[in-house]
Amino acid sequence: MTHPFVHITSLKKYYQMGGTTVRALDGVDLEIMPNTFTVVMGPSGSGKSTLLYLLGGLDRATSGDIRVNGQSLTDMDENSLALFRRRTIGFVFQSFNLIPSMTALQNVAFPMQFAGMSPAKRSEQAGRLLELVGLGDRTSHRPTELSGGQQQRVAIARALVNDPQLILADEPTGNLDTASGAAIMQLLSDLHCSGRTVLVVTHDARMMRFATHQIYLLDGHVVSEEDYQSAALEVMRPS
Amino acid sequence: MRFIDLLRLIFGNLSRRKARVALTAIGVVIGTAAVVILVSLAIGLQKNANEQLYGIGDLTQIQVSPTYGEGPVTVAGGGAGAGAPAQTKLLTNSALDELRAIPGVEWVVPREFLMSGGYVKFQKLEGWANIIGVAVDDLADLGLETSQGSTALGRGIIVVGPMVANNFYDPRLRPGQEPPPPPDLYDQQIQFIISKWDSQGNETRKTMSLRVTGILTETRGESDWTVYVPLDQVKAWNEWTMNRRINYNKEGYSMAVVKVRDVDRVIEITDQIADMGFQAYTPQAFVQGINNFYVILQVIFGGVGAIALLVAAIGIANTMAMSILERTREIGLMKAVGATNRDVLAIFLGEASGIGFIGGLGGVLVGWLAGQAINVAAIVYLANQAGQAGGAPPSVAVYTPLWLPVFALLFSTLIGMISGLYPALRAATMIPVMALKYE
Repeated sequence: MTHPFVHITSLKKYYQMGGTTVRALDGVDLEIMPNTFTVVMGPSGSGKSTLLYLLGGLDRATSGDIRVNGQSLTDMDENSLALFRRRTIGFVFQSFNLIPSMTALQNVAFPMQFAGMSPAKRSEQAGRLLELVGLGDRTSHRPTELSGGQQQRVAIARALVNDPQLILADEPTGNLDTASGAAIMQLLSDLHCSGRTVLVVTHDARMMRFATHQIYLLDGHVVSEEDYQSAALEVMRPS
Repeated sequence: MRFIDLLRLIFGNLSRRKARVALTAIGVVIGTAAVVILVSLAIGLQKNANEQLYGIGDLTQIQVSPTYGEGPVTVAGGGAGAGAPAQTKLLTNSALDELRAIPGVEWVVPREFLMSGGYVKFQKLEGWANIIGVAVDDLADLGLETSQGSTALGRGIIVVGPMVANNFYDPRLRPGQEPPPPPDLYDQQIQFIISKWDSQGNETRKTMSLRVTGILTETRGESDWTVYVPLDQVKAWNEWTMNRRINYNKEGYSMAVVKVRDVDRVIEITDQIADMGFQAYTPQAFVQGINNFYVILQVIFGGVGAIALLVAAIGIANTMAMSILERTREIGLMKAVGATNRDVLAIFLGEASGIGFIGGLGGVLVGWLAGQAINVAAIVYLANQAGQAGGAPPSVAVYTPLWLPVFALLFSTLIGMISGLYPALRAATMIPVMALKYE
């Protein structure tokens, strides 16, 4: 039997916002197996992005524990967290977060200089990944010269440069038209098929087609699909 | 992160914001240029003053006088405790040997002054002369040179300083009459007259005829106004004046000149001689005081420039704070893709230092050029002034030693780094998720 790749126990994240405490996550327990494609669904404010950022080591939990590949993120200092993000995680954001002054190739190569790779190796690797996402002819274009779908593909190539095991995507199709969105979903699915673990936070129901697992979040809690559907109906029913 | 990648990234980031970096760096340019010009000016003034000061006497010579009886000793350059009762310490021949034994002393020559008033006559002109007897056969031993004739001393001959001729005047000159030009004394006979009075107040005169066999070159020091004769000659004249024999082994000489080999040891040896109980004076002590003044001037001038740099530093801090606000998401991204806090700190500190360095480079260049311009203008002006006043023109007004631009460049870079410290620390310690969500 395989061990879970991600193990989350009673995870809580509270924010202080103007005197009131927001319970973004209020006791989440989860297991994610290696080489799975997990889709996290939930309405705005359900805590799904918070879960993704905590899992990626971009923020710290109020309480509870996250273990990725056996390592506890709670025990890590800032430096170890940075190394964890560098080696284990590849992030894909809704707004791409490309650096406007850099070309596609430079954007993809950017994370590798923190890992201390040589310039020749960096551009070779970046070129190969751009080829992989279908942008082999766009390497010297700047983000403003690329379409939204192309920019997101550059961002995915960038997420792959340090060969991470876990890809975390936050609404990757949120800013894209239908066709581009579908292409990005296909690309993420390909990553899953090549042996990586993928976790996508999305509103887009089409993503379900590629998912091996689904997680539904409501008000900081993980709920079953039935409860999620009935709650959604509840919201839609006219009062 | 590799250092070369860090430098390339910093340079790339700075060149993305050329206008802003340039505007911020201009503040540093002004500050650094001010430091370079003002400190160069202070150093130039000091050099000038020192050039003039070298005229007040050979800085490697110490004048030693005997101490008579009790009384506070006043010593230039410190040394014996002021106010302490001093023992009589005479400059006898054995005392001179003691002085000669001090390590670093090249030679010791006693000298004697004329006790009675004496005046000189040349044709129909009269004048006063500063007559000094020195215990050498040749003035070259004292480092003096002649422009005419020889430096050798002997009976019946004198060697005079170039200004001695200016002391002569025409006693029969009526008011309103043009004074005669200074006579050319070389190879001329001059009359030397000394007087003494007995207890009844009767004056006895003695007139000697002396030939000028050498005119000294100008040193801008004591020797310019001095008539040199052998020590024995002065001794004989003084014995005639006092009506008794003089025994230098008992009474000592009235002065000795100590020549020090190394100019850096003059103060130290002066103190040593003072500790032996003599009165020792060297113009070095005075020069050192002047130099201290100019060091203070340099610090004050440097401080004025540093205020301009401080204003520039605030500008850098402001630019960096703005830059970090604008690039918050970029910082978030850097952290998300694996940059450590140290990487982020290094990048932003490097950018701030870079602004300081660029400004410093410009400032050093502007400061140096401005210094050269001042030099050209000032030397032309001062040379005219000096020409009218009859003095020597200054060689330089603003002087920039090599260490100054190097120091200014390092200092401006350091200022940049310090200004960037707070913004860079803020950037480095941002929570990644907050930075990524920043609008």
